[in-house]
Amino acid sequence: MIGVESLSVAYGAVQALREVTFEAPPGRITAVLGANGAGKTTLLRTISGLVAPREGRVHLGGETLTGRAPEEIVRLGVAHVPEGRGVIGEFTVEENLRLGAMIRREPAGPLLEEQYALFPVLGERRRQGAVTLSGGERQMLAMARALIARPRVLLLDEPSLGLAPMVTAQLMHSIRDLCASRELTVILVEQNAKSALRIADTAVVLYLGRVVANAPAEEVARDERLRQYYLGMVES
Amino acid sequence: MNAFLTSRPVSDVLTGVTNGVIYALVALSLVLIWRSARLLNFAQGAMAMIATYVGFVAIAPHANYWVAMVVSVVAGCLIGALTERGLVRWLYGKPELNPVVAMVGFLLVLESVAAAIWSTSSRGLPSSFSPIDWQLGGRPLALSPFAAYEIVTALVVMGFIAGIFRFTKLGLRLRAAALAPEVSRLLGVRVNRMLTIGWILSSGVGAVTAVLVASNYFTGLTPTAMDGVFAFGFIAAAIGGLDSPGGALASGVTLGIVLQFVSDYVNANDVILVALGLLIVSLMVRPNGVFTRDAQRRV
Amino acid sequence: MRARLAVAGALVVGVVATALLARARVAIVLVVCEALFAALAALWVSPSWRAAHPVGTRLAQTVMTVDALGVASAFVSTSVNGNLEAGVSMTIVLLGLSFLTGSSGQISLGHGAFMGVGAFAAAIWANHHAHSPVVIALLAAVVAGAAVGFLLGLPATRLRGPYLAGMTLAFAVAFGSILNAFSSWTGGDSGLQLPTAVSAPRWLVDLLPPSDSPLAAATVWLSQISLVVAGVALFAMSNLFASRVGRSMRLVRDHDVAAELAGVSLPRARVVAFVISAAYAALGGALSTLVNNSVSPATYGFALSITILALMVIGGIGTIPGAMIGGLIFAYSTSSISWITARLGLNPQGNLASQLNGIIFGVLLVGAIVAAPMGIAGAGRQVARRWRERHHLRAD
Repeated sequence: MIGVESLSVAYGAVQALREVTFEAPPGRITAVLGANGAGKTTLLRTISGLVAPREGRVHLGGETLTGRAPEEIVRLGVAHVPEGRGVIGEFTVEENLRLGAMIRREPAGPLLEEQYALFPVLGERRRQGAVTLSGGERQMLAMARALIARPRVLLLDEPSLGLAPMVTAQLMHSIRDLCASRELTVILVEQNAKSALRIADTAVVLYLGRVVANAPAEEVARDERLRQYYLGMVES
Repeated sequence: MNAFLTSRPVSDVLTGVTNGVIYALVALSLVLIWRSARLLNFAQGAMAMIATYVGFVAIAPHANYWVAMVVSVVAGCLIGALTERGLVRWLYGKPELNPVVAMVGFLLVLESVAAAIWSTSSRGLPSSFSPIDWQLGGRPLALSPFAAYEIVTALVVMGFIAGIFRFTKLGLRLRAAALAPEVSRLLGVRVNRMLTIGWILSSGVGAVTAVLVASNYFTGLTPTAMDGVFAFGFIAAAIGGLDSPGGALASGVTLGIVLQFVSDYVNANDVILVALGLLIVSLMVRPNGVFTRDAQRRV
Repeated sequence: MRARLAVAGALVVGVVATALLARARVAIVLVVCEALFAALAALWVSPSWRAAHPVGTRLAQTVMTVDALGVASAFVSTSVNGNLEAGVSMTIVLLGLSFLTGSSGQISLGHGAFMGVGAFAAAIWANHHAHSPVVIALLAAVVAGAAVGFLLGLPATRLRGPYLAGMTLAFAVAFGSILNAFSSWTGGDSGLQLPTAVSAPRWLVDLLPPSDSPLAAATVWLSQISLVVAGVALFAMSNLFASRVGRSMRLVRDHDVAAELAGVSLPRARVVAFVISAAYAALGGALSTLVNNSVSPATYGFALSITILALMVIGGIGTIPGAMIGGLIFAYSTSSISWITARLGLNPQGNLASQLNGIIFGVLLVGAIVAAPMGIAGAGRQVARRWRERHHLRAD
């Protein structure tokens, strides 16, 4: 169980998060939704240690993560796939994956094969430069690179950004499968509320850094007020 | 065949390569730091010079050449780590001018301290390689045992560095930390440690270079022995592209050869002028270096 | 009120000084100088006049400084005059470097060499035109400096900081060989002598006490020349800093993307900064040739370039007071270091004593850039601002 407790973050005078509290259970997808500037990315960056909160704490299974460096937090099993995917274009597909496997002590070979089995297209292109991959393939590579370290928690920042609707649907489907089969805790930040709500168990809605809703996904999807004012979903 | 090997152009190429590998090593040392920290280490030559004094004069003055060389390289690595932890750490995130100024100041401190401790007079190092050219059919080949030793050592160092970067986990981490520091941290790479290791490798390469330069029978070791070499090494690195280790090596060797032809066919005094001219022209044509791919400037 | 006080004070000082020096001709000159100073001071102390006449304010400041130092130079020893001349030449060089860095964010590790360009240009000119006035030799140096600055500044159109710094470093290291490549002009390793030494004009010799040697009179005269040249340079630079060019260059330094959007031609602004800066360095170098009556290539090595950089950073980057502080430090660096050497009981010919200069400047440079990147001038401004704030609070 990963959770945040009255988390407040500020960049100088700008308050990005105000007393955000929620928990994300294992084997479930928790979607974090909201408009541009609602604080979604800041939330993930604070959980993974890139941003220090002004107040509040992040905890994972009773342990406090706040105050630790990102490179330590990832070793505790929290994998963050950043916005824009963070694939290193100058590296080959395999080098990207090897980098992700670095924090595991066992040999990288079987770990790589496991990911190639999961994402066959990556196996076909393992020697290619990551820069040659399509947007969807890059997202797969970024996820595989995070999963190869066998995390307990997966933080996904806007995975659907720039993807075609078909590709997005496939991607959401595989996130669903992964989460269920590995008892993974997934925190999914999305601007595309519609496709996120389709696979999420719970939805947390942020507005100007505050939690305005924290409810089962179907409820949020049905709530006309939330849909209109906070999620910008006009037609259904 | 012998006549060809001892002909004037071939002699120039051989001498040029001998000088060029030294420029290439300096360039490599600069690139190792530039790639990871976006910092041009103006004190590179002075740090390497100090390492050589430490090895050959302070710690192991009567030891075997190779022992003293190993001591120098270890001292160089240590100086690199201390510089990064003690001085450079304070300069990350500052305007890009500040590190330039600080490293120039550090250069002045190192050269003055070296001269204060060990004086400005030149010292010969006990290299056992003869500086006298081999003879081929009664004519000199422009290659001496010492020159061959320089070239071989440079190749070994380059191969060693390339091996680390290409084939080891450490190399993968080093490259990742340089290319994408934040993503690397999210994947568990200790980026700060990588920066220190980058400085250690760079200073180690620098120390080998300074030992080679100071082992030259005709120049020896002085506090300012690396100034000229550093200038040529920088020119090579800037022409080749400070982001590209391969480019730095290629342009170092090329620069050595071109300048040797200038020195032989034009005038030895004009060498640095030609080098400066080449630098200006190449920077005008390709500001990011001849061997780097074009990258959009980030706004 | 303050204005009247200033005028009255200056006149009183003038009368006392005049009374002390019983010689009539001296008295007349002094009274003229003091009256000029007092008149300018009277204008300068009025805030409304300063607000209405920014150029006039800068002119008044410059003339007052030159006037005061010029009068003072006649009353101090030859060695103090020597320090004054060295400091004034260095101030001009620092103004140039400070302009480059302060207004366009570029840096030069080759200003010692630019100084050398001016020093040699002036000497070469004087050797080929023995009877041309001093001003022409100085102008020749400025033109030479600007030309070399243009050549080296060209890449500045496309390059940023560290690359450019490296290129100027290469120039500084290469400068000795460059001089050697033109040894028929530059005299190679031995450098050049000026054909005739500058000597004081008749009227100045008459003004000075008869006991003064011709050499002392010449030193005073050189101080006067240096001060006037520096005054012109200072006045031009203070206007440049305040002008549209200066403002646009500060824009280039702080946000080069914004500057481009605002319509400043980036490449041109950078090259212009480089040319002006090199010309100033050359002028400073030419002046020091005039003072020393000779020029030697060894003076203009890489070490000088680093010293210049250190003086600028310690004095304060991008400010006129910073350049003056740097000049003052330079003027007294040699004597301070021999004082330290004596105090520490070091052998003046020893290794440590001869390297003390480099060690101290190097440590100060590193320390300043890490701890106080705005230098003495910046620190002074901060103290002044804090004092003024406290003053205001009490007044309220």
